[in-house]
Amino acid sequence: MNIANVSRRNFLKGSGVFVLGAALPARANLPDGSITAAFEPNLFVALDTDGTVTVTSHRSEMGQGIRTAIAQVVADELDADWSRVKLAQAPGDAKYGDQNTDGSRSILMNYDRLRDAGATARLMLRQAAAAKWGVPLEEVSAENHMVAHAGSGQSADYGELAADASMLPVPEKVSRKSEAEHRFIGKPVVHVDNGDIARGKGNYGADVKLPNMATAVIVRCPWLGGGVAKVADPAPRPGLIGLEVIDPAPPAGPMFAPWGGVAVLAEDTWTALSVARELEIEWTASPNQSFGSEPLTAELKAMLESPGQTLFDIGNVDAAFDSDGQELSAVYATPFLGHMPMEPPAAVASVEDGKCQVFASVQDPQSTRGLVSQYLSMPLENVDIRVTLLGGAFGRKSKPDFVLEAVELSKRLKRPVRVQWTREDDVRHDYYHAASAQFHRAMVDEKGHPTAWLQRTAFPSITTVFSGQALMPAEWELEMGFTNLPYRVSNQRMESAGIRPGVRVGWMRSVCNIFHSFSANVFADEMAALGGRDAIEHRLEMLAEGGEMEVPGMQPPPGHAMDIGRLRHVIEKVRELSDWDRERQEGTGLGFAVHHSFRSYVAVVLEARMEAGRPRVTNSYVALDCGTHVNPDTCAAQMEGAVVFGLSLALDGEITMKDGMVEQSNFHDYPMLRMNEAPPTTVHVVPSQGRLPAGVGEPGVPPVAPALSNALFAATGTRYRSLPIRMA
Amino acid sequence: MRYELSVNGQTVAVDVAPDTPMLWVLRDHLDLTGTKYGCGGGYCGACTIYVDGNIARSCQTPVSTVADMAISTIEALHENHPKLVEVWEANNVPQCGYCQSGQLMAAAALLDRNDSPSDADIDAAMTGNICRCGTYTRIRAAIHEVAAYDATRKGSEEDAA
Ligand code: FES
Ligand code: FES
Repeated sequence: MNIANVSRRNFLKGSGVFVLGAALPARANLPDGSITAAFEPNLFVALDTDGTVTVTSHRSEMGQGIRTAIAQVVADELDADWSRVKLAQAPGDAKYGDQNTDGSRSILMNYDRLRDAGATARLMLRQAAAAKWGVPLEEVSAENHMVAHAGSGQSADYGELAADASMLPVPEKVSRKSEAEHRFIGKPVVHVDNGDIARGKGNYGADVKLPNMATAVIVRCPWLGGGVAKVADPAPRPGLIGLEVIDPAPPAGPMFAPWGGVAVLAEDTWTALSVARELEIEWTASPNQSFGSEPLTAELKAMLESPGQTLFDIGNVDAAFDSDGQELSAVYATPFLGHMPMEPPAAVASVEDGKCQVFASVQDPQSTRGLVSQYLSMPLENVDIRVTLLGGAFGRKSKPDFVLEAVELSKRLKRPVRVQWTREDDVRHDYYHAASAQFHRAMVDEKGHPTAWLQRTAFPSITTVFSGQALMPAEWELEMGFTNLPYRVSNQRMESAGIRPGVRVGWMRSVCNIFHSFSANVFADEMAALGGRDAIEHRLEMLAEGGEMEVPGMQPPPGHAMDIGRLRHVIEKVRELSDWDRERQEGTGLGFAVHHSFRSYVAVVLEARMEAGRPRVTNSYVALDCGTHVNPDTCAAQMEGAVVFGLSLALDGEITMKDGMVEQSNFHDYPMLRMNEAPPTTVHVVPSQGRLPAGVGEPGVPPVAPALSNALFAATGTRYRSLPIRMA
Repeated sequence: MRYELSVNGQTVAVDVAPDTPMLWVLRDHLDLTGTKYGCGGGYCGACTIYVDGNIARSCQTPVSTVADMAISTIEALHENHPKLVEVWEANNVPQCGYCQSGQLMAAAALLDRNDSPSDADIDAAMTGNICRCGTYTRIRAAIHEVAAYDATRKGSEEDAA
């Protein structure tokens, strides 16, 4: 709280009330740089002589609980006293290894490494004590921040041993705790940032304030690739610094280039916003002005009518379709979506004396560092990227275009600049989760099972952002719920097609799994209905009995092949959890969907009905198997959040473009699910400790929208094959 | 224009344009960044403050309209609602946390006027606050928990009396 400071200064100045100018002292709570302490055996642990343990998180926190999880893992192996553990946030630096917080893989990639970091420090503390006391290492224990030798009765706090331990060579091999010895791993620990957040002290990108900092609000060209033809000078007003024109981004393959426009620079946000609102700007043309989302969707659907690029082909699908039997086919479509993180993009940059410092809510500070270094032609070591808390991200903040804007403006102004995106900027200039369409055609036997299955998918690839030529979906995009589906049929073919959009594509939480899970789960439900079958019974029959499944194109790391037994288990669990066999109330339906993504297994059942023309979800049930998990409460929270996220997109998620311009602008025309529509959620986290850890942040989302569509079919008999779900 | 304001029990003054929303006065001029910008249009509730004890969207509240009123923000909430803040933390209500200042302010205001809110009361009081991370079920549970705690405490005070 700085009000107290204000009063103090006011007293010092001797006037009645202190009048605050634009220049305020810098806030104390800037995100950390590198940590120094008495004992730093590795990148993740620092121990001070007072016993304070500082654990460094090199991954970005956006609500998925990673800072807490990292601390849990390190502190457990260190056997620290939790109340004496602090967190530091790593700047972008290759020495940490991968820092790209994307793809639900922070724990998967770092679990063993973090355990070793904690275990190394613990071993060295024991070694230091053994040497100090002249006793054998094996007789020295370390527990709860205390090293002890039972024989002699000697003991010492970790802090007391920090200096001695720092003199020892770092051991190359350490042993990790057994599962039974875990004190924090696998326990529902309270998140480390909750205290700050609940007191308004959480520090996000927009909260950073540097001395002499200017604020910029940028009026961007409504279409991608356009720039400023003419802008009238605004009337001078207090606090206004001036305008800066930003060059247009390339109309194709814009990567992370700043989007062209006019930056209004001011001493405070409101002045910048007020002037920005009144600016009169003429824009230059761009080929993207002919782009529209409706024609794009029509084109995607048309593409599905002829063969695409074959990705997988077994048996003879065409011959099977010529034979007698029941045939089923359907087309599915999903729209463009916006990420809408609660905190719109914001970044602070200071370019001075050949150095650049950035404070921002970015998902990958390391690649941001590289980009800034390249952008400024400045050596990498002169670029310092500090990561604040991310007020939500969902993929948006892995695109650091907003950081480059701040860097460019600070360079020109020769003072620190904060770029504040408005919500309107966010809605209109996102990297959009791309629209898509799928075609499914099957020959179905009397039990509702496919004997032949043709699947086609078409969507604009994210690679169109990185290259002006890219057209086809990338292999990894297709491995997200399409080529890696767990259903194998003797005649099966999968095909894909691509298209170039006139906007920037950037995937949202769970990527292509959103639409692939939607079409596959609804089509499976349609096959079950055709056979008059129970959806869950039917689905279990569609799966192999168990064992690992080879999925085309997908090369999972060892231990991460798709395990059909685990998939079956979450289905059975959600059946039980939802009391699936209960009697349905008139007009209410239960809908089921299951999906494997980010190496986790998630099954969802939703209870829903139509109420005054709008779906009403009255209950939700989720079973998750994510392998070894660090914090089961975080897992549950992520599933609860995924239900809300999935319902938001299923009910209202639709960004439309016309003449190259986005038609929505804020929460009134791009609504989010709110409290009054959020259903109760029951989550079961499958005890799966000992298996390799898998993703948690994203895999809850893909089954939600299809479960809703299936529930509404059960309730009303109407099939909803397009998102968002709207009454015909 | 110069305005004298009462913020979290302190008197402060700022020199800003009359139409400056309290959101930016707090964030830019008083360094109280707990009040968040989410939409600037009154849609999301991230900027919720109290003006004379009533909920207000600070992005829709020009400084000129509140000069004589008592303003309080998330930074002071824990002083009057320690149990609410404690339950919020202990139940891992926040995810990214960005909406939570507004959620807490709205929840406290609800509990101030209704000591045993029903689910429908919670819907009515909290539907103006968007949480993109989807923490609604935990917010609901936390409000019920605080209300139950307050009821027990009141009960035991009455027993003692
Ligand atoms: S920022 Fe004020 S209601 Fe959204
Ligand atoms: S906790 Fe992230 S928006 Fe609510």
